[in-house]
Amino acid sequence: MIQLQLRPRPLRLRLPLAALVLAVVTLVLLGAGSASRAAPASARATRTSRSPARTPQVLPLPFDRAEGDAVFLVGARIHVGDGTIIEDGVVELRGARIAAVGGSDRMSAIPAEATRIDLAGKLLTPGIIAAHTQLGLVEIDLEGSTVDAERNGGSPVRAGYDASMAINADSSLIQVSAIEGITSAAVTPRGGLLSGQVAWIDLLAGDHRGIVARPRIAAAGQLGHALAGSRAEAFAGLLEVLDDARFYRDRRTAHERRELRDLAAHRLDLDALGSVLDGQVPLVVYADRASDLLALAELAKSTGMRVAVVGGAQGWKVADALAEADIPVIVQPSANLPDSLDQIGARMDNAALLHQAGARVGIAVLGEAHNVRNVTQEAGIAVANGLPAEVALRAVTLELARIYGMDDHYGSIAPGKVANLVIWDGDPFELSQWPVAVWVRGQPIPMRSRQTLLRDRYRVLDRFGEDRDE
Amino acid sequence: MLPASTHGLPIRWSRALRTGRVTTACLVMILACGCTKRGSQPSPPDQPPPPALVSDEDAAAAAPSTERRVLLQGARVMTAAGVIYPTGDVLVEGDRIAAVGAHVTAPDDATVVDLRGKVITPGLIDTHSHLGVYASPGFSAHADGNEATAPVTPGMRAGDAVWPQDPGLERARAGGVTTMQILPGSANLIGGRSVVIKPYPGLRSLEDARFDAAPPGLKMACGENPKRVYGDKGGPSTRMGNVSGYRKAFQQAVEYRRSWQRYRDEQARWEAKQHARRVGEDEDHEDEGKDEDKGKDDLPPVPPTHDEALETLVGVLDGEILVHMHCYRADEMSLMMDLARGFGFRIRSFHHAVEAYKIADRLAERDVSASVWADWWGFKAEAYDGIRENAAMVSAAGGRAIIHSDSPHGIQRLNQEAAKALFAGRRMGLSLSDDEALRWITANPAWALGVDREVGTLEDGKRADLVVWSGDPWSVYTRAEQVFIDGRVVYDVAWGTEQPRSDFEVGPGDGDLRRPEAPAVFPPRGHDGGKEVSR
Repeated sequence: MIQLQLRPRPLRLRLPLAALVLAVVTLVLLGAGSASRAAPASARATRTSRSPARTPQVLPLPFDRAEGDAVFLVGARIHVGDGTIIEDGVVELRGARIAAVGGSDRMSAIPAEATRIDLAGKLLTPGIIAAHTQLGLVEIDLEGSTVDAERNGGSPVRAGYDASMAINADSSLIQVSAIEGITSAAVTPRGGLLSGQVAWIDLLAGDHRGIVARPRIAAAGQLGHALAGSRAEAFAGLLEVLDDARFYRDRRTAHERRELRDLAAHRLDLDALGSVLDGQVPLVVYADRASDLLALAELAKSTGMRVAVVGGAQGWKVADALAEADIPVIVQPSANLPDSLDQIGARMDNAALLHQAGARVGIAVLGEAHNVRNVTQEAGIAVANGLPAEVALRAVTLELARIYGMDDHYGSIAPGKVANLVIWDGDPFELSQWPVAVWVRGQPIPMRSRQTLLRDRYRVLDRFGEDRDE
Repeated sequence: MLPASTHGLPIRWSRALRTGRVTTACLVMILACGCTKRGSQPSPPDQPPPPALVSDEDAAAAAPSTERRVLLQGARVMTAAGVIYPTGDVLVEGDRIAAVGAHVTAPDDATVVDLRGKVITPGLIDTHSHLGVYASPGFSAHADGNEATAPVTPGMRAGDAVWPQDPGLERARAGGVTTMQILPGSANLIGGRSVVIKPYPGLRSLEDARFDAAPPGLKMACGENPKRVYGDKGGPSTRMGNVSGYRKAFQQAVEYRRSWQRYRDEQARWEAKQHARRVGEDEDHEDEGKDEDKGKDDLPPVPPTHDEALETLVGVLDGEILVHMHCYRADEMSLMMDLARGFGFRIRSFHHAVEAYKIADRLAERDVSASVWADWWGFKAEAYDGIRENAAMVSAAGGRAIIHSDSPHGIQRLNQEAAKALFAGRRMGLSLSDDEALRWITANPAWALGVDREVGTLEDGKRADLVVWSGDPWSVYTRAEQVFIDGRVVYDVAWGTEQPRSDFEVGPGDGDLRRPEAPAVFPPRGHDGGKEVSR
C-alpha cells in the first residue's frame, strides 16, 4: 500500500535528478583530478610547516564542581608517583580533587572540625592506571554480544570508532579491577590498522553518566605483518591515511562539494585523526619488532606527531633511538617468549633496559581486560628484573597519564589532581598485598565485586544440604 | 679440590674456575653434575646425560658408596610434607634425596654447600601444559595439540607431537618446574593421552625427557570447546551431545573389553581342550576316531581387532590411565563424576575447574583434585564465575587443590600464582599454612599425575628434584637460583646468558633468561599483611 502511494513521486523526479547527478559527478571528477595532482606537494608542505602544539590544554573534566568539605588523609607514607616519597604525609581532598599535599608539618594546619582519616603505618599511592585495555568494552570475550571492542569488518582504518560511546559502566570487570587498586583506564578499541579513539575512564562502577572522564584522548593502532599481508604495506597504509587526513582537513568544503579525489578512508575516520596530526593527542600504536619501532620513531620526528608504542618486545634493541625520539613504550614485563617472530628476543628486563637508555616506560597487562588488576604483579616482575621500584610505580601511574596526555589531572598525588588514591598495608607490587581502601574522585569505593559476592555465597557449603549420594 | 674438578669441564667453566669467578651456584652445578654414574665426568649444562642415567634401574644399580653426595645446608627447607625447617639441610645422594632435617650430618665424602638465606622447596609440578604441542612461536605449523577432525580421539598421544625445541621449556625450567604434564588441547571430548616429562636441557627427542614412572593420562573436555569446534562439523553442538559422546565412547570400551574377555575365555577353553586332547592322545591311543569334532576344535578362536583408541579407554576403566578432564562449571563436574562412577572409573583431576569452590565438599569427598588458575576468569561464559579464592576454598574443604598453568607464561611463575591464591584465601579468613599452599604446586600435582611416590615432597628416598630460591617463594621479587632434576643442576641463575637453550633461539633469537641481582623493593613499613619469612 505504501509503495503504491509513493510510486508516482520518484517517477516525476527521476529525470531532473539524473541530470543533476551527472553534472555533479563531472565536476567532482575534474576537481578530484587536479586536487590529487596537487596533493603530495601540499601534504609535504603541511608536514614541515605545521608546528604542533605539544602541550595539551588543561581542560576541566565533566565531573568537576566546587563542593564538599575538606577531608584529610593523615599519616601515611606517600609514594607520590613521580618518584618522591613523603613520610607521615597529609593529603587534603576537596570534592573530587586533591587540594593540598604535604609532610607532617601540615598536621597543625588541619582544622579541628575537619574530617580526618588516620593512615599511620599505611602506604598511599596514586590510583593505578590500566593502559591500552578493553576494560568496559568486553564482558565475556567469546560471547560476541558482550563485546564492543572493535568495529568489525570493512576498512582497516577505523580511527573514528569511539570507545567512549560503548563503555559499559555496569561491567563486572570494573569493580573487580577497582577493588584491587585500578582507578583509571585508557579504554582502547582494537583491530585494524587504526582501531579508533581511546577514552579515559575512572572506575566508577554503575556511573553511566560520569564514568568517562574524557573521550578521544588518543588514537590507537597497530603495526606488524598480520594486517595488510605485508609489513611494508601496513606502514605505507598508515602513511597514506595520515596524508589523506591532512589533505581532507584542509579541503573539507571541497569534499562536501564532491570535488575531491577518492580518499584512503571514510571522512569520519580521517576527521578523527585531526587531533593526532596537530599533536594534540598521541597516536598509540601496538608494535613489537625493532624495525616497526624505528619507523614509528621516524614518523614522530618527521611529522611532529606524538607517538607512543605498546608491546615493544624488541624495544630494548632500539632503546637509544626510542629515547632520542621521546617515544614512550608501554610493555608487559612478563612477556619473555617469542609468541611470534616479531617478539624474538623478548625478555623480562625490557623495561629496565629501556629505562637505562633513557626511554620512558609504562607497564600494562596487554590483551586481557579481565585481569588488568595483575598490573601490580607485572610491575613487580619488572622490578625483579632490574627496574627501580619507584620507576615501576611511576610506570603504572604518572608515566601512563603523561603518555595519554592526562597528567594534568592524573597519575600522581599532587594539588589539583583528581583524588584517585590507593591505601596499602605494604609494598603494592607484592602478591601478599591488596588495597586496604580505594578512593576514586575523592570518594572511597565499596570493596565488593561480583567475585567477592560469589565467594561469600559459597563460603559455607553446608547450607546446600547433604550430597545426594550419601 | 677445585683444580681437580676442572678436568672435563667445558672451556667456559674451566675459565670461570681459573679466574676465580666461582660462585656457590657454579660449585653446586659442578658437584651435582658429578652425581651420575659417569662419576667424575661432569656434564656441561647443554649436554644432558642420556635418560638411562636417571632410570630406576640405574638408581637401584648404583652403589650408594660410589654416589656423589651434596649437602645443601642452612636454607629454609619447605618440604611440602607437613614440615618447614626454618633452617635445615637436604642431603642429595646421586639422583635421590637421602636425608632432610634440621641438622643432617654430612658424610665424609659429601660436598657441603652453604645456602643460608635461601629457601629450598621441592621442584614445582604442573598438571597442565601445552609446551611443545602449542609451541612458541605460535606458528600454524606448531599447532599440534588438537586433532580436531573428530570429537573422540583417544588413540592420539601428545607425546607423538611434542617439539622438544620449544623455547618455553627452558623458561619453565628457569621458573623451577621439574615435572610437567603435556596434554592435548580441549577441542575434543576425548583428546588423547598426555605425556609427563621432566624438562631436561638439550633434548633431542621427547623420549629424552619422558618421566618413566608416570602412568599414562587421558585428556577429556567438557563444555563449550567441543561444542564450539564441532557444532558445524557434525556435532556435538550441545552439552547433551557432549555427554552422549562420552557415554557412547565408554560403552564401546566396555564392549571392546568384553569382546577381549570373551576371546580370552574362548582361548583358554581352546587351550585347555587342546591340552586335554594331547594328554588323551598320549594316554589312550586306542580311542582314535571317538572325537568326531576334532577337526573343528583345532581352530583357535580369532582375536578381536586391536583398537588403540579403545585400548586407551579400557585403560581408564581398569584404573591404569588417569583421567584429566577440562571442565569449568560445578554442574558439569558433578555430572561427570556421576558418569564416571557409572562406568566404574574415577576422574583424577578436573582442569580449570573455575567453579570448583561451589562443590569443594563433593570434590573432597570423592578425592578428585582440582587443577585451577589463580585468577583467570571471564574469557568465556563457563569461566564467568571464577574467583581468586577458588584454590583456597577447595583446599580448606579438605580437597586436593592444584595450581596449574595452561600457559607458557604462567608455568614460569607457578609459585607466584600459588601466592596470589594463598593470600586471597587468607584474606577471606581461611587458615592456610605455607606448607599447604606449597602442596598446590608440588605434592598435589604429583598425586594427580600418579608420581607422588617419586616426587612432590622433600623426603628421604624421593628423587632429588628441588629448587633453591633467592628468598620467600611467595614474593614477586624471588627467583629460582638453582633447579635440580634427579640430583643434577639443570638451571643456575649464575650461568647468566650461557643458559642451555633450544635450537630455535640459536642465532638471532637472543631471548634472554638472564636476571640481574636482587632488586631494590619498597621498604616495607607497617607491613602486617602475609607472613614474615626469614631470608
